[in-house]
Amino acid sequence: MKAALAALIAVACLGFAADARLSAHHSFAAEFDGSKAIRVTGTITKVEWTNPHSYFYLDAKSDDGSTVRWTCEAGSPGALSRRGFKRGDLKLGDTVIVDGYRAKDGSNMVDARRVTLPDGRIVSGASAGDGGPGDPTQNR
Amino acid sequence: MAALTMTPGVTALNAAAQELTAPEVTGPPRPTPRTADGHPDLSGYWKGSRNTKPGGNIGKDLPGWKLPLTPAGEAALQHNLTATVDPESLCIIGGLPRHNASGLPFEVLQGARKIVFLYWYSYFRLIPIDATLKHSDDPDPSFFGEERGRWEGDTLVIDSIGFKDDKVWIDENANPHSDALHVVERWTRPDADHIHVDTLIEDPKFYTRPFTYSRTWILGKPDDQIQEYSCSENNVDKDHLGFGPGPIRSDGTRGYIDPAPLPPPVQRPSTPGK
Repeated sequence: MKAALAALIAVACLGFAADARLSAHHSFAAEFDGSKAIRVTGTITKVEWTNPHSYFYLDAKSDDGSTVRWTCEAGSPGALSRRGFKRGDLKLGDTVIVDGYRAKDGSNMVDARRVTLPDGRIVSGASAGDGGPGDPTQNR
Repeated sequence: MAALTMTPGVTALNAAAQELTAPEVTGPPRPTPRTADGHPDLSGYWKGSRNTKPGGNIGKDLPGWKLPLTPAGEAALQHNLTATVDPESLCIIGGLPRHNASGLPFEVLQGARKIVFLYWYSYFRLIPIDATLKHSDDPDPSFFGEERGRWEGDTLVIDSIGFKDDKVWIDENANPHSDALHVVERWTRPDADHIHVDTLIEDPKFYTRPFTYSRTWILGKPDDQIQEYSCSENNVDKDHLGFGPGPIRSDGTRGYIDPAPLPPPVQRPSTPGK
């Protein structure tokens, strides 16, 4: 029950930067496809805690058993740390679950809206809302 | 426990995430601070108000947010929508008047002879305050224009000409401006916690008439300030971005329209380490 409560609180914190979408380095809809909501589960192989976005790279297993490398785009370091998502939360070798939208150009790149960490915490990827579910600017 | 759903605005914890905007100030207005020479001091870290709607849209104050584009302006808009990548996403300066419509906070440092506006992405504009200083005959084009500042009573007037005409969007929605752009801003600080601008935008090539963009920002907390931001440090997006701003929604802002829902959150048992 305690873990579930912690997860509930973490989810309630998600992405409530009221104007995060306007602060986006770019329009997310210009790069990511809002019709392609995906889930990527993989192990972290690299973390770039940089501007204009942070990135972490996952080795994920595809259906045929091969390993596919995914690029997960998250917010700037400042945007992430303000949401309680610290650089140290992403450890090489950890398995994380990333939910977001796939790049329009078909590359293995996802706009990380939600990241589920190994300890069960669910954190916002601090990707600008741009109308996605859970974006408080949409009042959905 | 049932699958968790995200319901906006139900927790006080969302306050932690609203750092780019500030809540409206309560209580009686605090007096406007002034510099030694008696002018209002515009210095401060200024955050957007949640009442500024639609954000990122230079037509905010026009009926139906409809910009008075000339035929050349319409063509320029179509060009921006279909053939240009957002210049700001390529780490090119947003410039004026785009930064007045931006969702990002900014910082002002005011001196007696100069005033500087510091923006995220480590951009700035430095404006001389001198009523005797006139515009150049042929200024080199720039993204913020050639600025001339002067006081009119308690209003700082900034008059800017000499704008670039390529790799420019006038707002987040890819609306255009030409090199004929002329911007006159009137900045005031009506009380300690607010800064206000009336921005007059005139561009006879692309707009049939001048129009105004007005906005109020709210003072940040004492320890808020602009930070370093190196836009080109790791710009992975530049190889993946499509043209244009993405869809413009019915609320006048850019973004997804009816995106697919994300998969329901996973409830993982809490495990130490991996």
